[in-house]
Parts: sequence; C-alpha cells; structure tokens
Amino acid sequence: MPKHDTPLMDELEKGPWPSFVSDLKRQAEKSPQCWDIVGQMELSYKDRMTHWKHGGIVGVFGYGGGIVGRYSDVPDKFPGVAHFHTVRLNQPSSKFYRTDLLRKLCDLWEKRGSGMTNLHGSTGDLILLGTKTEELEPLFYELTHDLEWDLGGSGSNLRTPACCIGKARCEWACYDTQAACYAMTMKYQDEIHRPAFPYKFKFKFSGCANDCVAALARSDLSAIGTWRDNIRIDQAEVKNYLSGANKANGGGTPAKGDKFDIQKEVIDLCPTGCMWMEGDTLKIDDAECTRCMHCLNVMPKALRPGLDQGASLLMGAKAPILDGAQLGTLIVPFIKMDPENEFEELVDVIEKCWDYWMENGKNRERLGETIQRVGLPTFLRVMEIEPIPQHVREPRSNPYVFWREEEVEGGWQRDIKEFRKKHAQ
Amino acid sequence: MALSNEELKEKILEKSLKSPKGQLYVKDFYACDPEAKPRAVKNAANELVKEGKMVFWSSGSTTMYAHKERAKEGDK
Repeated sequence: MPKHDTPLMDELEKGPWPSFVSDLKRQAEKSPQCWDIVGQMELSYKDRMTHWKHGGIVGVFGYGGGIVGRYSDVPDKFPGVAHFHTVRLNQPSSKFYRTDLLRKLCDLWEKRGSGMTNLHGSTGDLILLGTKTEELEPLFYELTHDLEWDLGGSGSNLRTPACCIGKARCEWACYDTQAACYAMTMKYQDEIHRPAFPYKFKFKFSGCANDCVAALARSDLSAIGTWRDNIRIDQAEVKNYLSGANKANGGGTPAKGDKFDIQKEVIDLCPTGCMWMEGDTLKIDDAECTRCMHCLNVMPKALRPGLDQGASLLMGAKAPILDGAQLGTLIVPFIKMDPENEFEELVDVIEKCWDYWMENGKNRERLGETIQRVGLPTFLRVMEIEPIPQHVREPRSNPYVFWREEEVEGGWQRDIKEFRKKHAQ
Repeated sequence: MALSNEELKEKILEKSLKSPKGQLYVKDFYACDPEAKPRAVKNAANELVKEGKMVFWSSGSTTMYAHKERAKEGDK
C-alpha cells in the first residue's frame, strides 16, 4: 500500500506531546494498511466529515457482540481499510494484566489484524483496532483457545462490566469490587454475548464514593461502596494533622496556606455541615453525613469508613454527547455486597430492573430515559422500594396527591348514584 | 396460552421475512406472542441466529435482527 501525501496529519506530529500519527506511521512499517488509515484521515480532515461507516452483520459464530463492523466509504482510494473491524476484549477486573499474556495478544493481533490497540476504549474494554472480516473467526478461535481470552459486550447487550481497583490496593473499598465484577460477568455471560435489551446496559463497580471508575456518570447500574454505621475517628491522628505531623491529603496535594486548617479544608467543605471541633477533638454527626468521602480523603490516617459496609445502587446514568448526559439516581440506599451468597441482593435488584426495562423500555431507550419517562415514583414501585427523603430531588410543584386504587378503602368501585344522593343532601 | 418455543421461532422468522422493515429490534418480535416473556422472545430470536436463519445487525451501540435473506448486501 502506498504512502499518502498527508500534510494535515503531519502537523499532528509537531509539538512536545506524543503523537498517534507517529505511532500509526511506525506501525505502518509492519502493517501497511496503517498507511491507508493516515490517508483516509487526511481526506476526512480535508472534507470535514468522517469516511468511516459503522455497523454491519459481522461477528463470530454464537456471539452477538464484541465485534463492531467498520467500513471505509472510499474503499477504492484506501483498500487497506475497506473493512477494518473493531474487536472488544473483556478486560480483567481492575485491569490487572499479565505481561506475558499482553505480549502474546500483541503477537496474535499483528498476525490477524492491524497491530493497533486502544487500552482502553471508553467502554473500558481492551480494543483491537482494525481487521478484515475473514480474519475474525481465526482470531476468535486463537483468542479463546490459546489465550483463554473472551470478547466483551457491544450493541444491545450487557456491556463488559468494569470495576475500580477495589480491595486489591485501596483501603477505602467498602466491598470487593473485583469479586462483584467477576461474579456478574460470569453470571450474565449470555447477556454479554447476545443482545437481550432495548439498548445497551452497563454495570460499574466502585468501592467508595470517590468513584474511581466513574460509575455514577456512565453506568445504567452503579454499585458505589458505602457504610451504614459511623466514620471511625482516631483522635490522636486528628491532633497529628492539626500539628502538621501528618500531611493532609496523604501528602499528595499540598495544604493551602502555611499550615493545615481543618476548619477551612474539612469542616467548611462538608456538604451537610455535620462536622465541628470541640477543642482539639473532631466531632461528626453521622446521621447527617452523606458519605461523600471528602474528609476521609483529606485526613486518611484519622478518618476511615465505618465497618458495616456495602453499596448504594444508583441507576440511569448515561453519557452520550449528542443526547445529553445524565448522572445516576439513587435507587437503593444500601445493600450488603456479599460474595459468600453470590451477591444475591444485587442480583435481585438487577433482575427486577431488567424484567421491567425489557418489557417497558422503548427501542434505543436507556434505563435512565425510561425512568424519566415513567417517573421515579413508578419505577420505585416496580422495584418494590419504599421512597425515602433521599429519593426526593426537589419540593413538589404539583399540589395534587394521586392515590392508587389499593390505597383507597373500597378501591375505585363505588355506586355513583349513591354518592350523588349523599352529595345532594 | 403462550406458544411453544418452536411455534414462537416460526412466528419470528415469518415476521422477519414479511415485515416492511428489513431489520427489526427484539421488541418488534414481542407481538409474535404477547403472552411470552420478553426473555423467552429474545432467546428464541437468538436461537434463530445460531441456526443460521437470521443474522444480527449491529451498529456498535444497538443490535437488530434480520432474516438471512434480507441481510443488507453491502454488509455481507
């Protein structure tokens, strides 16, 4: 494949930052089709429109996801990328890779595809960029049989679940995010590999409200670690922060000003104002605490999560650029996340939600859009969850109270003539 | 009474062949048996793909089903 004249792309190699154009050119020495990517991109820059078509019937036998069809709409000019499909691989929990496996994967991908990868795509998967239709089945066979590596989700499937680093390295993780992610991945293999839903559905597991996997913003169902009892306080360590012996923010972010100011940096920034000092003793009204993690982040030696740990479940987040993003809504304030019972409480919530959404969700409607359409009260009723103050976003603007039939004595059955007789009196 | 799995598959196949639209969402098949659970309809449609009678068409973000004979030529 010939090199193309690409003055616009070449501009992206100038400057101090790493350049994907340089990477493409380097890879093109081994995989000549990469010259055509650079050429097609140059044309897109000139035309100010993409020359990729996406979608198609490509896939591997038995699977309805994991491969995304990509085609060039100018295949005569760039035959090397006439079809250039994307492959999504299920990343390991918390993205802990074995380096020998990564080397084998790169070798396989240079043999069966362009050699270009994306670690990681916005889906969270390990992405292999660009192969031909006829290479898909051999690639899949070698991936699954030689590397024991599976495809991830795409299309109207359950997408590859993702989790934060969890208890592997983080003392704040309130449940074992890797165990939950792995358990749900294995339990819902059918939903990951074959389309099941009106649209995509994503799980993400964060061990605490710092939410390192951005579950709150991106997943239809986020499990965010929290605790029910009180924050554990070590008053001796609080004093060490006050004296400067302990560095705030674990030493990662220097304290503003000369000295750590607990009033300014912790107490005044508490979103619910539930903290105060009595002399040099820190007090917390835990009933008012929202478990936002700010104080724990600033003073990690002095403050730790409580011991009655589990997760809050939020639903309905999505992040499409055009339609508008939406953060998750708190649905279940607390559940235990217990690997011993195979996350039974979580599974109950998931399946109740799926049953409703599969039946009532419109085509291409994310769960968050369904909740918005039917209203949170209806959705909570479906989920058999009693509303709590935290479910209320704002004071009501509608003065009417609507009763359901089962809440009214005698239901809706009444004799209207009898009623009017009384009314006339 | 809900249709048997084989009857449901036949209805789905017929719909995918006769529908004015060449590609259908899984929800479009729910009407093939209003008494069947969505999950049963989904499973029946996926079995038809496995048997080679239907194909998946995926944009990458959403997935549709098409009768094998009506799959877009350009996508083959």
